[in-house]
Amino acid sequence: MSDQNPLVPYLYLLPHAIFFLVFTVYPIALGVWISVHRWDPLADTQPYVGSEFYRNLFLDTPQRDFFWRTLVNTLLFTVISVPLLVITALSLAQLLYRPVLFRAMFRSIFFMPGILSVSVMGILWKWLFDNQSGLVNVILQMMGRPTIPFLTTDGWAWVPVTLGTVWWTIGFNMTLYLAAMGNIPASLYEAAELDGAGGWHKFRYITLPLLQSTTLFVVVTTVLASLQLFGQTQVITGGGPARATQSVIQYITEEAFGNNQFSSATAMSFVFGAIMLIFTAIQFRTMARDAGGPR
Amino acid sequence: MTDLDLPAASARLAPQPTAPRRRVPRDIPRFVALVVLALLFLAPLYWMISTSFKPESDTIASPVQWIPARPTLENYREILTSPDGNILRWAWNSLFSSLAYTAAHLFVSVLAAYAFARMKFPGRDFWFWTVLSSMMVPGIVTLIPTYVMMIQFNWIDTYHALIWPGISGAFGVFLLRQFFLGIPRELEEAARLDGANSFQVLTNVILPLSVPVLVTLAVFAFMGSWNNYVWPLFVVHGDMQTLPVGITSFSSRYTTDYGKLMAGTAIAAVPVLVAYLLAQRYLQEGIAVTGLKE
Repeated sequence: MSDQNPLVPYLYLLPHAIFFLVFTVYPIALGVWISVHRWDPLADTQPYVGSEFYRNLFLDTPQRDFFWRTLVNTLLFTVISVPLLVITALSLAQLLYRPVLFRAMFRSIFFMPGILSVSVMGILWKWLFDNQSGLVNVILQMMGRPTIPFLTTDGWAWVPVTLGTVWWTIGFNMTLYLAAMGNIPASLYEAAELDGAGGWHKFRYITLPLLQSTTLFVVVTTVLASLQLFGQTQVITGGGPARATQSVIQYITEEAFGNNQFSSATAMSFVFGAIMLIFTAIQFRTMARDAGGPR
Repeated sequence: MTDLDLPAASARLAPQPTAPRRRVPRDIPRFVALVVLALLFLAPLYWMISTSFKPESDTIASPVQWIPARPTLENYREILTSPDGNILRWAWNSLFSSLAYTAAHLFVSVLAAYAFARMKFPGRDFWFWTVLSSMMVPGIVTLIPTYVMMIQFNWIDTYHALIWPGISGAFGVFLLRQFFLGIPRELEEAARLDGANSFQVLTNVILPLSVPVLVTLAVFAFMGSWNNYVWPLFVVHGDMQTLPVGITSFSSRYTTDYGKLMAGTAIAAVPVLVAYLLAQRYLQEGIAVTGLKE
């Protein structure tokens, strides 16, 4: 086919377009359909029920109780983990920005846990915080302290989940900060030094303001990642004790794959998706600005 | 935003000169702090490896047995021959599906990005924005409908379920298009004068210049597929499981026998860690350039 043929560009797009239509556009449409019908893999008919499954989330139903409760769990995790993941990452980047012995090696070490799958990370942190024989409790014993049944105690169960997440994902944020710090002109610091500025002043009045857009990006992506909490609680606590650490995505998958309530679960995922969309929109804007303009 | 441009990304691809600074004594506290933090970061990994070589009775020994007193390979032998699951088969599933996914993702993304970056045709911008907007749809929204499709396609417990659904991810198209836009027109025109058609321009001019961004995308696609957890957890079972999902089934069986559990996680983790040590430059640079995050 000659390049002059106006169909040529569409041929290049075709493979992507097929997959895009089948696995992105169609599932969204199918999801809408499923959420307003009673979809059951084993039933012959899928009766139309309208907004029933959406209304269930606001009426007196177990679905309402569990959905909002696990949403609160997820928001709690987000509120605890995001500041940790942003401030600690910024601190690590600040420690590593200037040359230091073995700098590249340190960078690699802090980044390394992030390439593990969530299940490997989860099993490992479950072992570290095991109620009896976990390393943390053994160390507590050695210090003459009582052991803490982390995995089965309300409140404490968030500790391995949160610390594990920080250990696991901090390297991504640190790397983003390091890249942004590399773009700050050294002359700014030199000028500040001439004016007698100390380390804290340089950080406060040069580094921090110039990292503003990076911080926005890091915060939004970290919030998004935290809202999608699933593997950590699935593997470390199993959502327990008594759903205290169950995340909303965990509950949605339980409703679908555990209870075979696909329509109810789809309605929930649409409601939750709408909540996340707000954050995604902010991320999208910062990314677009990032890619569009000079820095 | 329609005139998305490359310079920002390419500027960040270039190595950043760091200002020479004094290495005076005030750097010693910084170095010590880094050493302490690095040891804290490495401790869990060390504890995993250390536990995996301990007999069951020693895993719960107090005081802490940092170095296995009676090292054994028994945990590895038992976990590799466990009747509960074939760890090597799971590893193969992960490897095969991740490689196939990466190849297919790069293939469709390159072709689409090339059309978006280098060709003019009716509907181009509309379609590009549609694809880009799909990045705003959170994964959970399509999870259950796509699962229902897998049932309808009869793809549950097949490689198809692991490979195809994520192929059209918009990020690859976006990243490659940005890079292709920055390649000078003159190079393409010279090739055209030599009689090259659009496909030859792609393979002989564009792709050879795009190797770094292609490698970046490939590494991320492979890692994303390999480490994916929520999707394979539900669409594949038994012998068709991927390695990260498979090892969690040991977690419910060996609830207290952490020696064997750690042997299982070590088998899943160590190859990835070694691969990381070889490719770390690409990974860290890739994140810096793309701002990509799970």
